[in-house]
Amino acid sequence: MGRFYTFLFRFLLFVFLQVFIFNQLEINPYIHIMVSPLYIMLLPFEMSVIRLLLVSFLLGVFIDAFSNTFGLHASSLVFLAYIRPVVFRWFAPRDGYDNIKTPSIFDMGNRWFLIVFGSLLIFHHLWFFTMESFSFGELLLILQKTFPSALLSFTVCIILQTLFLKKSN
Amino acid sequence: MTIPKSSYFTTASYFAGSLFEIKHSITKHFNLEENNRNLQLENIRLRSNTPSFLYEVGRDSLSFIDTSYQQQYHYIPATVINSTITKRNNFFTLNAGSIQGLKRGLGVFSSNGIVGIIHACSEHFSIVKSVLTADINIDVMIKDNGAFGLLKWDGKNPNKGEISGITNDIKISTDSKVVTRGGSGIFPKGLMVGKVTEVQSIEGKSVWRVEIRFSEKYAALENVYVIKNLFFSEMLALQNESEGN
Repeated sequence: MGRFYTFLFRFLLFVFLQVFIFNQLEINPYIHIMVSPLYIMLLPFEMSVIRLLLVSFLLGVFIDAFSNTFGLHASSLVFLAYIRPVVFRWFAPRDGYDNIKTPSIFDMGNRWFLIVFGSLLIFHHLWFFTMESFSFGELLLILQKTFPSALLSFTVCIILQTLFLKKSN
Repeated sequence: MTIPKSSYFTTASYFAGSLFEIKHSITKHFNLEENNRNLQLENIRLRSNTPSFLYEVGRDSLSFIDTSYQQQYHYIPATVINSTITKRNNFFTLNAGSIQGLKRGLGVFSSNGIVGIIHACSEHFSIVKSVLTADINIDVMIKDNGAFGLLKWDGKNPNKGEISGITNDIKISTDSKVVTRGGSGIFPKGLMVGKVTEVQSIEGKSVWRVEIRFSEKYAALENVYVIKNLFFSEMLALQNESEGN
């Protein structure tokens, strides 16, 4: 039960961070820092796909309601939650995942986190900016937005983890 | 892609709007000086047209009640409490809603230029689809020669827009002013939009690619006016009637 409240608190924290801090940081049109994928990433390993999808939809709708994006965050986070188990299976350790651990950079190591979260983040950002433009005529713009944003989001997500998380057990 | 018209799950909703009002009460001072200067300049411009501030030459001239003009536009002041400028489609949140008489489809402008069209309203707040949106399509014209086209935004630079649909038999000089055309009845004719910065020909097409610089800095936007065309329904009825025949 304690863990439930941790994730509930973290949910509200991520909505706040995304809406009132990172959405207000408008560096240039190519950079849109999104930290909400980190929340989905840090959900427990054993969580079922249906729950995962529901939680990410809820988080997305909350963020959408504050940023006038009409379901963009919801759709990209649901997509992220959908491919998370697939990517996890690709990069699973030899003897499977330990349920005591969490998918954070401290528990799983730098290399695993870089590959798994990095690829998830690029998929998420690509989906987000494709849906935002909604036209393949702007493919170049979509790619120009995806990679700088993903790089910066990744950096911010690592900073957030080093600030707020510690190694479990 | 059509964007949902509901005001739920947007910043026009009461909950989100109230939170952004709190945020705005902190951040509103950041651009205060510039905004005040803009309002002051606008006041000077307006005052210079007011009869009581002009020097009367013929003191004994006949006074008359002017009935040849009738009020066509009604202005409602509002404040931008949240805005983005770097997304593909940018929406601004206003702290006025249906109580003040705002509704979907009304035009919004500021002292420096046009801002956008109201997209959704709740009782106390509303969101504006700004000119920094993919399909804003406001009809604008070049002030000098009356050549008109639709305003577009390519999603890259919040200071620059494009006009599409001006055929290349019309000469356009850079630095000429771009104003609203007023054809759709949302904006009056002649509101400032920006200035032409570049005119290029498109290969294989008989239209110019006209790049303009917006006269309004949307990053520091604060005070806006919502404009209500009092003859809008009359115009719409007439247009529908003529389309029916």
